[in-house]
This record gives sequence, structure tokens and C-alpha cells, in this order.
Amino acid sequence: MVSVQELLKEYIDEGRIKLDPSVNHHTITVHDPCNYVRKSQMAFGDHMGDLNRWITMQCVDPSLYREMCDDPMNNFCCGAGGGAWAMPYDEERLAYGKIKADQIKATGAEIVMAPCHNCRDQIMKGLPKVHDMGNYKETLYLWELVANTLVIEPWSEEEIEKAHAARDAQFERDGIEMEEEEE
Amino acid sequence: MAEEAKPMEIHIDRKNRKIGGIAPELADRCFTCGTCSGGCPATGLVPMEGAEGVTWDARKAIRAIVFGMEQEVVDSKWPWVCTLCGRCEYACPMGIKLMRSFRAARTLRERDKVPGPIHKGTMMNLERGNNLGIPKEDFLYLLADLGKELEEECCPGFYVPVDKEGANLIVTINSKEPFGEPDDMKFWWKIFYAAKEDWTVSSVNWEGVNWGLFSGDDPAWKEQVRRIIENARRLKVKTILYPE
Repeated sequence: MVSVQELLKEYIDEGRIKLDPSVNHHTITVHDPCNYVRKSQMAFGDHMGDLNRWITMQCVDPSLYREMCDDPMNNFCCGAGGGAWAMPYDEERLAYGKIKADQIKATGAEIVMAPCHNCRDQIMKGLPKVHDMGNYKETLYLWELVANTLVIEPWSEEEIEKAHAARDAQFERDGIEMEEEEE
Repeated sequence: MAEEAKPMEIHIDRKNRKIGGIAPELADRCFTCGTCSGGCPATGLVPMEGAEGVTWDARKAIRAIVFGMEQEVVDSKWPWVCTLCGRCEYACPMGIKLMRSFRAARTLRERDKVPGPIHKGTMMNLERGNNLGIPKEDFLYLLADLGKELEEECCPGFYVPVDKEGANLIVTINSKEPFGEPDDMKFWWKIFYAAKEDWTVSSVNWEGVNWGLFSGDDPAWKEQVRRIIENARRLKVKTILYPE
């Protein structure tokens, strides 16, 4: 079992992916999802708050970083945790999230990095509908930020051929018939 | 003249407490200091039925459990508006398991009274392998189509390896993505492409969202985790990536 943060750190440390922070120009802050930070610490004795920040810093110029919370362990829930995003209590969920909206506003950041599907949906689709979030523009998953910052080098001809052969074998096994393609 | 208020007799049956069953004596340690409710964004959001102007909060819910009013907690909206974020439990100076108690209150809710789709989704998952009931064939075609799109956009040679035996990494998927936001799957795919990762996704039971955890359904929660591990074993993959 590997967490997304550990995997991304490994890719960066080992030089398996290259990042170009110069493509990102907006100020950014980091949200601490309860499951990755506080509850991870309580359950496993380790948390991802620092790694979330470190990976974010690999993607932006450090001058653009804005801290939301000095103590990730005591950061606030987005308001949609524990399945609340899917529950019928929208009014309560959005009222709950005011403290998160206020935190984001106070950072002055334009982008919020949220390494959790649920937090991302609440911060991106929920909170801006009802709360003033200051300079806020957009929410990105951690892996979305990394993907946007990637320098992608195309594979070699040999690698591509090998992948195509594996793909074709897989499609045949699974009965997937793609529309005719011209190569 | 108003009738003189008489104190209500409270019957406390500590031995048979269901929520306290997690830690029978812990709730009783509460000092009523309010650290939990003072630092909780859900404080004041849920009106207490039959008590005008009074709202639920973490401290009151724990006190209700101490006083044997478990059923009132179970029947209230409190355990569901609480997001189980754990801040109260982390901060409690007496080590009371607040978050676990409120999740236990969810477990005690009758299944057909679990709010929203999380119970139905859990049942759907047990039956069809994902919360939204996406059929296997649709899923496989979607991965093939999107993979081809990504190959054309930026990543020559890219495809989504399904059920690849002996891969280095197996990935779960959040069903909301194939269902409603399919392009969002490409973020990870680009990263795997750039890193030349040897990865795979299972054609069955690939759901990464565990609603049994949230609905308080322990057997379903465990079953879903078991399936994810089973997929890894079946495909002889050493590492599971769980991007939730």
C-alpha cells in the first residue's frame, strides 16, 4: 500500500518525472484533508501534511505559496467529509464550510490544492456558491497540479511499439473493438 | 402560574450501552470542558428536537451518551452533519473517542434511514463492484477511448493497462470520475506515462470510494477493502495505490 504523496515524492526524488514550476503563476495554498492528516496520524502515527506542502512547492515558485494553517493536525475539515458531500444536508454542509472559506480568504491565495476528491468538490463546487473566498479562483487535486506541471517526454519508437502490441493483445482478450484507426 | 419543574429521572445502564461499547467507560470521563465543541465547525448547526433554541454539539452528544440517551443521538442528525473529521477526538484532554462514538451512532441507525445515497451506493457496490453500478463493458470501453484520446493529446504509446498480471502498481478508481468527470482520470495517467510506471487497474471491483466507512456499515467496509486486496493478489501486484 502506498499513498499518493509517497508515490509522487518517489517519482520526484528519483527523477522519474520532471516538473517545470515556471508554468504556474498563481498564488497557492494547501488544504489538509482529515483522512490524510489528522486521522492518518491518529490511526497510523504518520501524516501527509508536510508531504502535501513539499510536493506543492516542487510545482510552484516558493514565493507563491501561502500557508493556511500552522498546524496541519488542527486544520479544519472542508465540511463535506464523512460522506457529507453525498448527504442531503446541503445547508449544514455549506454552513460548516464557512470556516474553510474564511481560512482560504485569509491566505489571499488564488489556488487551493486539495489532495482528496471530497474536499476538492466541496471547495470547488460548494463553498464558492455561498461564501466570499477573496482571491480564490480554482481548486486542484495534488495529482492535477503535478500533471499540469509535468514535462512530458514522448516515449521512444521501440517503447511505443511495445505498448501498442500489449494494448492490442489486451483489447483482443477483453473483446474491445475500437473504431478503425489510421496509423 | 407555571408548574414547578421537576427534575427528570435518568436511568443510566452503562453495561448495555451500545455506543459506549467501543470504550464503555470513556464517555464518563468527560470533564464537560467544551474543547471538542468549541473547536468544531458543526457546533450549533443541528437543532435538538423538542428543545427550542438548543442545538447539538460534540460535548452535548457525549453527555447524552453518558446519561443513557444514546437513542436520541442515534435518531438525531448530529452524527451525520458531524463530518467525522476527528478534531474533537484529537484535542480531547481526556482521550474520549468522540469520532468513533459518532460513527458508532451511524452504525446504529436503521439502514433504510441512512441519509442520502451512501447506503444504497454501498449495496450497489457489493452487488456490482462500484457505487454507481457502472457496467464492466462500459467501463472498459471508456478506458480504451480516453486512453486513445490521451495518446493523441500528448502521450504516444499510452493506453490503460487493465488486469495486467505482475504490474508494479494497481490503482483504484473513484466512480464519480468514469461516471461524470472522466477527463480527470488523465491527471494520473499523464504522471504514470511520464514516470514510465508499470501499472494496472482491475476490470472488476475497482471502486476506491468506501461508503461503508461513512454509513457505519462495518461488514461492507471490510468487504470492499478485501476486494481491493483480492484484486492485487489475483494480478500478483505488490503495491496498491489508493488515490482517495
